[in-house]
Amino acid sequence: MSDAAVKNTAAGPPPPDGPGESVAIKAIRLRHPWRIVFAVVLVIAFALFVIDAANRPAYDWPTVAKYVFDKRITEAAFVTLQLTVYSMIIAIILGVTLAVMRLSPNPVVKSVAWFYLWVFRGTPVYVQLVFWGLIAIIYQTIDIGIPFTEPWFQMDTKVALSTFTLAVIGLALNEAAYMAEIVRAGLLSVDKGQEEAATALGMSWFQTMRRVIVPQSMRIIIPPTGNEVISMLKTTSLVTAVPFSFDLYTRSRDISAETFNPIPLLIVASIWYLFFTSILMVGQYFLEKRFARGVGDRRPDRKGGVDDATGALTGTLPVAGSGQPTVIVPPSEGNPPINPGHGGRR
Amino acid sequence: MTDTITPGAASVSPAQNDVPMVLADCVSKSFGSNEVLKSISLEVKRGEVMCLVGPSGSGKSTFLRCINHLEVLSAGRLSVDGVLIGFRESNGKLYEMQPKEAAKQRRDIGMVFQRFNLFPHMTALENVMEAPMQVKGEPKAKVKQRALELLARVGLAERADYYPAHLSGGQQQRVAIARALAMEPKLMLFDEPTSALDPELVGEVLDVMKGLAKSGMTMIVVTHEMGFAKEVADSLVFMDGGVVVESGDPREVLDNPQHRRTQAFLSKVL
Repeated sequence: MSDAAVKNTAAGPPPPDGPGESVAIKAIRLRHPWRIVFAVVLVIAFALFVIDAANRPAYDWPTVAKYVFDKRITEAAFVTLQLTVYSMIIAIILGVTLAVMRLSPNPVVKSVAWFYLWVFRGTPVYVQLVFWGLIAIIYQTIDIGIPFTEPWFQMDTKVALSTFTLAVIGLALNEAAYMAEIVRAGLLSVDKGQEEAATALGMSWFQTMRRVIVPQSMRIIIPPTGNEVISMLKTTSLVTAVPFSFDLYTRSRDISAETFNPIPLLIVASIWYLFFTSILMVGQYFLEKRFARGVGDRRPDRKGGVDDATGALTGTLPVAGSGQPTVIVPPSEGNPPINPGHGGRR
Repeated sequence: MTDTITPGAASVSPAQNDVPMVLADCVSKSFGSNEVLKSISLEVKRGEVMCLVGPSGSGKSTFLRCINHLEVLSAGRLSVDGVLIGFRESNGKLYEMQPKEAAKQRRDIGMVFQRFNLFPHMTALENVMEAPMQVKGEPKAKVKQRALELLARVGLAERADYYPAHLSGGQQQRVAIARALAMEPKLMLFDEPTSALDPELVGEVLDVMKGLAKSGMTMIVVTHEMGFAKEVADSLVFMDGGVVVESGDPREVLDNPQHRRTQAFLSKVL
């Protein structure tokens, strides 16, 4: 919409070949009988499954109801949430640092970041967690001071690091390797001209990053990071390797070891995992919307006007609480140019 | 060339003396073994509009980028308003500047890019307000008022709240000019400002630039718009292969080129 175009329609004569009278098409719509058949079959199959499951004794629904708000379970759910949040926060901070290091012109800094990624992405997180559990055997004390001199401060590793702390460290350091690649892809996705424009305006490197590069890379970073948070929530079930036993999965296994009834407690744990992932997906939707300002809003169905357009969505709103795992399909333009590579992980 | 300043002149307001706005003395620039600029010497006076023309790859954009230190010189001296760009000289030795110092020098030099490079996550108004607020730390109300005035000056007062994606190329480039002017620069650099535009949108950007030239702004314009050069420019420099082939009054150079290379180029462009 240029100014010139607006002026023309306002003042100038109408174009010579103006639209003649067009006749609306009145055709019989193409029918899709197979769609209906498939839908009916799927609905019947699903209904049968639900009715069957409701009456199947092995699921033991009364026990599920009894334990879903059991204090031990709700506490464990909270611990799982804490593990997820703490390790993700550390992972994001460390991941950003590693991403900036990998983009550094200094070859030593670059290589260190590369080596970190090679180690922590190249070994299973379960193995890493077992290693962290054995850290007190490898390093009996934590010393602070100048190397090869008497330390100023010394502490027993076992005392200093609880199993919870070790679990957070183990999860965070592994996750940081993946976050680093996601952040790097995001930073590289921003056009080089943006940095130049900001530099030419006299902005410092830090200002350029904070005000120009990072906000734009967020569009690329958020969808895979949402995946990582959800993935992390589920990966916390591996902390039993440390061994840390107060997370949701380990706790429900422990309870079922007393009741000799594992299935309902697995369902209880799953309900809580699904509850949390659903909340996270809604949060991701709003974050994506926030960082899509000014871009990704060329939707054909928009009503026009700036406010409408900027409020457009890029993500797909997940249906929370539907009990079905919902898949978020990021818009094609939101896919990072560099695939951080999730294949065959965990 | 710091030695052209008399000792007393440094303390006087730069606008009072007759130090050229841009003084390039044997400026060279190489990327690896590829010498893009070969000993360029030229002078742009205060209030002068200079057009740089030449075939692509002739080094005109690189020269422009050297002026605000987006590229670092390989050889020679380049000063803006009597101050050396990118380097500090003391006791006859040159020291490369800290990024902070270089950023401070760029504040006074506005730049407009071929591809606009507006910040897509900010509205037109926010784009214009960004640098004065972040870099100069000016109060928001004051910056906003000035930004709205600037947008009105480039004819986009009604588009202040539009995101760049909703503006045409010509409108985006006009916002980019307003954004550069918001820093109240003493020198404006234009790097092929109309080359990425639809032909019918070129005029609106050139009109804004003409207005700017009339207001007395010192401008260096890399362009292929010979009409603009003839009408607005005070001087024209023809570059090819990293050297200045011919320079002088734009009408003379364009109508009566002396050098064979200039003749060949102009016969294709005009």
